[in-house]
Amino acid sequence: MIELLLILVPVVIGAAMQFGRDDENEKWSRWTGALVAAVMFFLALASRGTEWSFRWLSRPFTSAFHFGPTAISYWIVLLLAVCTFSAILAVNQPRRRRFIGQLLMLEGTMMGLFLARDLLAFALFWDAMLLPVFFTLLGWGGHSGTAWRYFLYNFAGGLTLLLATAAFGMLYGSTDVIGRTDVHLVGAWVPWIFIGFSFAFLVKTPVWPLHTWMPITYSDTPSPMVAVVSAVQSKAGLYGFIAIAMATMPDYVKTYAPWLIVLGIVSLLYGAFIALTQNDAKRIVAYSSLSHLGLIVVAIASFNPIALQGAVLYIIAHGLFSAAIFLTLGYVESREETRSLVRLGGLGASNPRLAGALCIAALAALGLPGLAGFVGEIVILTGVFQAGLVWPAILALIPIVLASAYMLRLFQGIMNGPEVPDLPVRADLNWIEGLALAPLVIALVVLGVNPHALTTFNPSAYNATTVSQGASK
Amino acid sequence: MTHHVMGVDGSYPLLLVLWLLPLAGAILAWAFGPQLKTAAGWICSALVGISFICAVAMWGPGTQSVSGALGAHQALFSWLPGFDFGLLMDPLSLLWTLIITGVGFLIHLYSIGYMDGDRAFARFFAYMNFFVFAMLTLVLSDNFVGLLVGWGLVGLASYFLIGFWFFKPSAVAAARKAFVINVAGDVGIMFAIFMIVASVHSTAFGDAFAFAGSYNSGWLLAICVCLFIGAAAKSAQIPLHTWLPDAMEGPTPVSALIHAATMVTAGVYLVARCAPLWSQNHDAQMLVGTIGALTAIAGAILGCAQWDIKRILAYSTMSQIGYMIMGVGVGAYEGGVAHFFTHAFFKAQLFLGSGLIIHALNNEQDVRRMGGLMKKMPFAFIAMLTGVIAISGIPFLGAGFFSKDLVIQGALEHGHPYLYAVGIITAGITAYYMCRLLFVTFFGSYRGDVDPSELGIRHPELAGTPAHGADQAEAEHEGSGHGQAHHAPAWIMNVPVAILIVPTVLIGWLMFGGDNSPWAHFFAQQFPHPQLSPAPIGEGVTGLITFGAVLVGIAVAWWRYATASAQSRAVERLRGESIRMPGILTHAYYFDLALDLLFVRTSQLFGTIFGRFFDPQIIDGAVRESAFSAQWLGTLVRSFQTGLLRAYALLLVVGVAAFMIYYAVIAGGVHP
Repeated sequence: MIELLLILVPVVIGAAMQFGRDDENEKWSRWTGALVAAVMFFLALASRGTEWSFRWLSRPFTSAFHFGPTAISYWIVLLLAVCTFSAILAVNQPRRRRFIGQLLMLEGTMMGLFLARDLLAFALFWDAMLLPVFFTLLGWGGHSGTAWRYFLYNFAGGLTLLLATAAFGMLYGSTDVIGRTDVHLVGAWVPWIFIGFSFAFLVKTPVWPLHTWMPITYSDTPSPMVAVVSAVQSKAGLYGFIAIAMATMPDYVKTYAPWLIVLGIVSLLYGAFIALTQNDAKRIVAYSSLSHLGLIVVAIASFNPIALQGAVLYIIAHGLFSAAIFLTLGYVESREETRSLVRLGGLGASNPRLAGALCIAALAALGLPGLAGFVGEIVILTGVFQAGLVWPAILALIPIVLASAYMLRLFQGIMNGPEVPDLPVRADLNWIEGLALAPLVIALVVLGVNPHALTTFNPSAYNATTVSQGASK
Repeated sequence: MTHHVMGVDGSYPLLLVLWLLPLAGAILAWAFGPQLKTAAGWICSALVGISFICAVAMWGPGTQSVSGALGAHQALFSWLPGFDFGLLMDPLSLLWTLIITGVGFLIHLYSIGYMDGDRAFARFFAYMNFFVFAMLTLVLSDNFVGLLVGWGLVGLASYFLIGFWFFKPSAVAAARKAFVINVAGDVGIMFAIFMIVASVHSTAFGDAFAFAGSYNSGWLLAICVCLFIGAAAKSAQIPLHTWLPDAMEGPTPVSALIHAATMVTAGVYLVARCAPLWSQNHDAQMLVGTIGALTAIAGAILGCAQWDIKRILAYSTMSQIGYMIMGVGVGAYEGGVAHFFTHAFFKAQLFLGSGLIIHALNNEQDVRRMGGLMKKMPFAFIAMLTGVIAISGIPFLGAGFFSKDLVIQGALEHGHPYLYAVGIITAGITAYYMCRLLFVTFFGSYRGDVDPSELGIRHPELAGTPAHGADQAEAEHEGSGHGQAHHAPAWIMNVPVAILIVPTVLIGWLMFGGDNSPWAHFFAQQFPHPQLSPAPIGEGVTGLITFGAVLVGIAVAWWRYATASAQSRAVERLRGESIRMPGILTHAYYFDLALDLLFVRTSQLFGTIFGRFFDPQIIDGAVRESAFSAQWLGTLVRSFQTGLLRAYALLLVVGVAAFMIYYAVIAGGVHP
């Protein structure tokens, strides 16, 4: 039952918040939203090991509204709850109540996705979670073109996902397979099913060359929303690869693994190089996301248990630091009314707390040892190297150096240097804005020092095995 | 798998205390800086002092040896399944801990005076304490990942402190450069970790070293080279040294602690720590020894061409670390580590002494605008003089002589006559440029009131002289900089310098006496001691040859800068030297330019091509093309378009609902 609450409560409350006059109850919406998000966090915490199922199809294949966290999605659900809480506290958009409502609906639909144990439910929530972002882009974004591009691109992925799911069901007889270790799909159709899933997953993550919806979406979406989208929604595809593709059709994933590794490495390098030269702060982070998530794709395709543990670590770590960095950039943008590194500069002198927040977020993103991002990177690459993928491991080290360059450029370009005379001088971070960032930063430090908890799942459930490698000894 | 732990396992609360106290100080000063005000300086200094006392108290456990296990090991927690984190204190890390906390304490004290009146006084001490914590993490960790964490965190502390005056664009750029180059080094260590984990499934030093003999030589060489990339970046070895001179943008106490005494010697620590690996691979030893020697002589030559007092010291640091790296590289571990030990004192002394001058002259750093300071600042003169004697290696009068001799002789004993020769020549050059610094600064008459152009200072901002930038910085600091009114008492800066004079002069005697010296005893069980054939030239003769080179260096410096005729025409001579200085020297062999073209510009070019052309034109162009063919669908949709958000919402909700109803009712049927 806890799963139903996790999904329905945010959706219903979020939908209710869309009604009424624009300017009504603005004041209380933040606290209502934050309270709901906080309750969701504790419910999510309590959801470990629980399941809820309601069978609704038996022909042409069995399917159920079957929800419950898996060993991996449990952490993503917690991440989602934390990020939504932070994002709601950080909202300073006009028509705040409606915006927070959209955030809550996004939380509920994504809860559905990550809790889904049934492929059909997974596919339905895949499309449903596009809607809050789409409406936010239409209502608060720059222009509607971005919204449509986001929606159509991802909806195309959703279609192939739905077709693949239907084919999966016809072939296997059931779609109630997520989190099961005994499903092993074989047959002539499976490559097509795999490609259908992969297309959706690669678009959503995104992975080069299917990424062109992402930079404009990330820069046009208001910061609290994009914080949740980049932190959690972008993980839907990666989670799908692990929980669906690796678990149920490992042979085909292995067949296509070299392609995935190439795409991952290209994303890694391509994103990092572009991030180096962008001037829009949010686009820098968007391209850095392309780069960072490419690393997780490589980790998954390596089929190595250490790399897979690293992938889960990095999924969470990336969620935390990208949420923190987007929220902080939102604070900067709402104060200075620009995101351009050409215009910004020297804010640190009058906004030391804001500078501190951006500094920590940027350091986590560039993989500073001691914070969670570093743990994910080094564990992934240790596993990738152990799997015998020497060149991918070497190439993946280059973006780490580049990340330090573009993240420091971002931080220094905004906060350091002489103060820019014609920038508006606004108050430093207030306590609510600080409170929004606190859980993210604390989690980054805790997971950086002791990442043990996240790696307790069994990688062999996802068919990851240590292969002997020629490189050692 | 059995784990090979170094050190005697046990519970050592003092070890934890000395490690965590500076972190507590950093958090305290960072969180409550505005409330603490100047108290932050005293609190942070005291915490480092207590750390030092704890380190001294750890002497017994740190040097104990029980059935082959050397030192003290404290297990802490499991980092990941199979990967544990703990602290290890053996003679090697004990030595580093004593220097970090001991010299660190003195520099903290000095900073109370030096940073007095700075707007971000508490923040400075938060960073300094954080640095001490990070450096202790680096040297106390019992595994490679812990070492890498410390390695990265000292880099961060260095970044913060180089860019401490973050409103200065030059400081901001220098901080970023230092950080990025050091991340390139971190990445080298990461790759070494991958190889070690792939071989022994552990990151613990004990496990990695226990199997050192079983690696094949190419694999071991690769591990050593990757580790050394990290060492070279951190310790400013060619070609990754270019950040160190720029790092002088930081306040002078930072240069003394981080960019001279401790952090930049982390590479020496790493090679010495991994002695079991290096000893197994002659190629790795050759490579590291050669790079060390190259750095030593290249840095020394550049030291002759600088005018900024801190940049002279920066190049001398680079050169002296070259010696240390050469020592530990060729296998003379006691020698390399000894030079770290003495260098920590005399280089801190030199930097703090130069800080006294810079402080007194309102941030003037160009030695051409000094001169004749001996009478005005006799204490600073004595401080600098002892430092110059020590670094030059004048026999028995300063600490540097003993340790440098160990390195030079060690190179010969381990069969590297060329490195031996480079070591001796570099000693002569070192004596020359350090005496040049001393003579130009303290002898003759004061030139601060001479027009800069007459001294050959044409473009101060281009000549790498941050003095003028610093002036502006002080002005921007709303007059709260080092104005005469709020100077802290002079003793707070003089006392640490006076204390440092003692080890600067005397500490080298610990290394006197060959194999029977206290130094050799201290490290008797730490390092491998292969059987060596006796060197063709004895230690005494080496000392004499080196002294000959040193005398030549001093004589040339004297002839050029200190004779009566040279002093009477000092202004013209300095001007002539400035103008005639070869470009290859003023541009530091064009390393900056080469790195910039090779890496920075190339990366930016890639970024521009991908971001401005490839992404919008090629990839997105293809996407738009395929979308175009579907556009007739779009026009169809548009005819339904009502322009209202709610209509879209309704449409989509109806769509999803229709889909569900189709499956639930028509295709499947509901089965609760």
